[in-house]
Amino acid sequence: MTAAAIAIDASGLSRTFIADQRPVHALREVSLRVAAGESVAIVGRSGAGKSTLLNLIGALDRGYQGSLRVFGEEVRAMPDRALSRFRNRQIGFVFQAFNLLPNLSVGQNVLLPASFGTELGHGERVERARYLLGEFGLADRFGQMPAQMSGGERQRVAIARALLLQPPLLVCDEPTGSLDGETAAHILGVLHGIQRTHGTALVLVTHDPQVAQSCDRVVRLDKGRVVDAVGAA
Amino acid sequence: MRLGRLLSLVASNLRSAWVRAALAMVGIVVGTGLLTFFIGLGQGLREKVLERIFPVNQLELEPRAVQIFGTEQILGQEPLDDARVRQVAGLPGVVRAFGKQKSSFPARLWGGKELLGYNLFTEAFFDGIPAAVVRGELEELEGVSAKRGPSAIANGDRCELDLDCAAGMGCGDGVCVPIVWADRFVEVPEVVLPCGDGDRCPQGTTCQQGRCAKAGESAPPQRCVLPAAAGTGRDLQFDREVGELAQPCADPLGFCGMPATTCGEGRYCAADHPETRLGWCERPLPAVINPLLLEVFNSDMARSLGAAPIGSLAVLFGVRFHVALGDSYFSKDADKHRQQFKQAIVVGFSRKAPELGVALPREVVRHFNARLKGNAAAQAYDTILLDTASNQDVPQVIVEAEKLGLQLSRKSRAARTFGTVVLVTSLALVLLAAVVLAVAAVQIAQTFAMLVHERRREIAVLRARGAARIDIAVLVLGEAAAIGALGGLCGGGAAIGVAELVDRAAARFLADVPLVPQGFFVFPMWAVPLALAVAIAFTVAGALAPARRAMRLDPAAVLAES
Ligand SMILES: Nc1ncnc2c1ncn2[C@@H]1O[C@H](COP(=O)(O)OP(=O)(O)O)[C@@H](O)[C@H]1O
Ligand SMILES: [Mg+2]
Repeated sequence: MTAAAIAIDASGLSRTFIADQRPVHALREVSLRVAAGESVAIVGRSGAGKSTLLNLIGALDRGYQGSLRVFGEEVRAMPDRALSRFRNRQIGFVFQAFNLLPNLSVGQNVLLPASFGTELGHGERVERARYLLGEFGLADRFGQMPAQMSGGERQRVAIARALLLQPPLLVCDEPTGSLDGETAAHILGVLHGIQRTHGTALVLVTHDPQVAQSCDRVVRLDKGRVVDAVGAA
Repeated sequence: MRLGRLLSLVASNLRSAWVRAALAMVGIVVGTGLLTFFIGLGQGLREKVLERIFPVNQLELEPRAVQIFGTEQILGQEPLDDARVRQVAGLPGVVRAFGKQKSSFPARLWGGKELLGYNLFTEAFFDGIPAAVVRGELEELEGVSAKRGPSAIANGDRCELDLDCAAGMGCGDGVCVPIVWADRFVEVPEVVLPCGDGDRCPQGTTCQQGRCAKAGESAPPQRCVLPAAAGTGRDLQFDREVGELAQPCADPLGFCGMPATTCGEGRYCAADHPETRLGWCERPLPAVINPLLLEVFNSDMARSLGAAPIGSLAVLFGVRFHVALGDSYFSKDADKHRQQFKQAIVVGFSRKAPELGVALPREVVRHFNARLKGNAAAQAYDTILLDTASNQDVPQVIVEAEKLGLQLSRKSRAARTFGTVVLVTSLALVLLAAVVLAVAAVQIAQTFAMLVHERRREIAVLRARGAARIDIAVLVLGEAAAIGALGGLCGGGAAIGVAELVDRAAARFLADVPLVPQGFFVFPMWAVPLALAVAIAFTVAGALAPARRAMRLDPAAVLAES
């Protein structure tokens, strides 16, 4: 594995929160490498630190100890503006709760990442948003409001939003957690399709063993520590 | 964040919470409305009320008086002469200063028949005002610049006499041109000022053959004889050029067989004194009256006199009336041979003219003061009129003038007091508006704190998708600014609308009250932009704390909440 091909390189990564004036060690000394184009499932009990790890990997949280490099950049070292830009270009988020903006239409939601400084022209952006929605079978939903859609449809919109700027890393926190089995399988197919066709690294948190099995590698967390890593390393 | 994107996000957020946005805006609308309203009222009172009575940067000074047993006594000091006027003119901030001399002789005037159908008779008071002092105002109120414009002169018809031309036009150099009345108010008009040995004549003239004559006079006035029917000249008609030329006869009362000739257009025959029919062909005295006189007449006098109100100042141009100088209804008349019965003609309007009286060229008043009351009466001025460069210079000028033993005249004092009252009241009301706006800002702060709390998940998603902290702050403040802009426009617009209604109501219900101005409001160009800016400033200030909270939200923590 060459340095250029490493998407995520974490070593000795710890995250401590203060809750009720007592420290909560959500992550302790986690080391993890994810190659570009690789898919990794993070599993573990509730409260194990999965979301905490994902937020760190997604460069949303700089309050860690240890080292965390995403595409070679030490996350903690970047100032807010640079980090926001980095998130914008390099990382796509997909959440369990979809997190679409309720006041914006489907199309506007998908176009949201382009709001924060991009070189794309208006026409190109809209074309790409329409293409992504079309890919996910939502071609005619561009002007609809999210409230009018089913869970599976909303999650596909959220994935389209995550992919608009073609980020090389997709982080998904229980992307299928709110969906029924059939829809979940479909969404999973979509995510792996992206991984294959675009070489996108995929890090996803899941409770579902089948979802975990579909990934190249499974990392198990318990009480903030990596207890078991399965698959190619 | 890109501006277009920002605006559409702001718009969609406001749409989704428009009820709360509208409620939060109420205070801003009321506050900016009050602010705009009071600014318009203050400016209106200054411009439409105060400035009409006495322009703020124009002062009148009189010798300082002291109260002795309840009466004002002028301190024994040097009279107001030219040297003192020059002193005042030299004060810092003073653009120019002139002495004003009131008439000190008894006089009466009568006239108005052409306007009212019968003559009004009244005791007369004159202020002698230098022509230069009122020149600008005369031209402004007459609209002289329009009359001098190329279009006014271009289509002039050919003519020999004024009568050949349409109303309002006169014959000049063979073509009809608009009459410029202001041009007729000159220091030494074409009027015969009688004199005797030792009498004072205006500067540049000397007493020759019973009248003050200019040294190199090109066309000396002609002698004339009043027709017998005219009696002593008291009841001459204005519409006839009365009087027959007496020259070049040796015998002033004979006609020498020559055909009777009149004094010529625009002139009349003014008798030397009331007991003779021999006189001079001359023009009427140019008179300037105070524009307020018209309002007082229309509102107070017209009805009791059974006369129709006079529509506008314009109809008064060229109106002639009689003056009897040295003759009084009340007090002891002057010696008959020193009295003068003359005609006067209204040539303009000035706020410097007395409210009840007539302004004449200063040298004319001065001459008659000397002739009828003695040379001493013509020595000193009564007050000094001055213009300051700006309103800001006024207080300093007053202080300096006091050192010279001068104080503001009653009229100037009243104007200043009124101006101060208006200013203080407007400031107090603007302060009230500021308090309302401050309350509104608190309301905005509360609303935005709630909105930010409710939207913290959306904010976290925005951050995850690439919004920097500053983008979030700009988004929240942009929303506040949009509410402010809308509120400011509504408030400012509503204030102007209400002011318009008040003005209309006043015009309708207060039409008969004297001195009520044409509306109470003047909105300066900057009123609505100011309302807008103030509204935005207060909403943005109110939203500052919530915006800070929003930008400091930890997106990871918010997204971890389920
Ligand atoms: N922002 C936070 N403040 C305080 N404690 C937190 C915060 N986020 C997570 N934790 C704590 O860290 C631990 C790990 O949480 P999390 O990563 O959300 O677990 P998982 O996603 O595996 O369920 C939990 O005990 C949780 O209470
Ligand atoms: Mg979790």
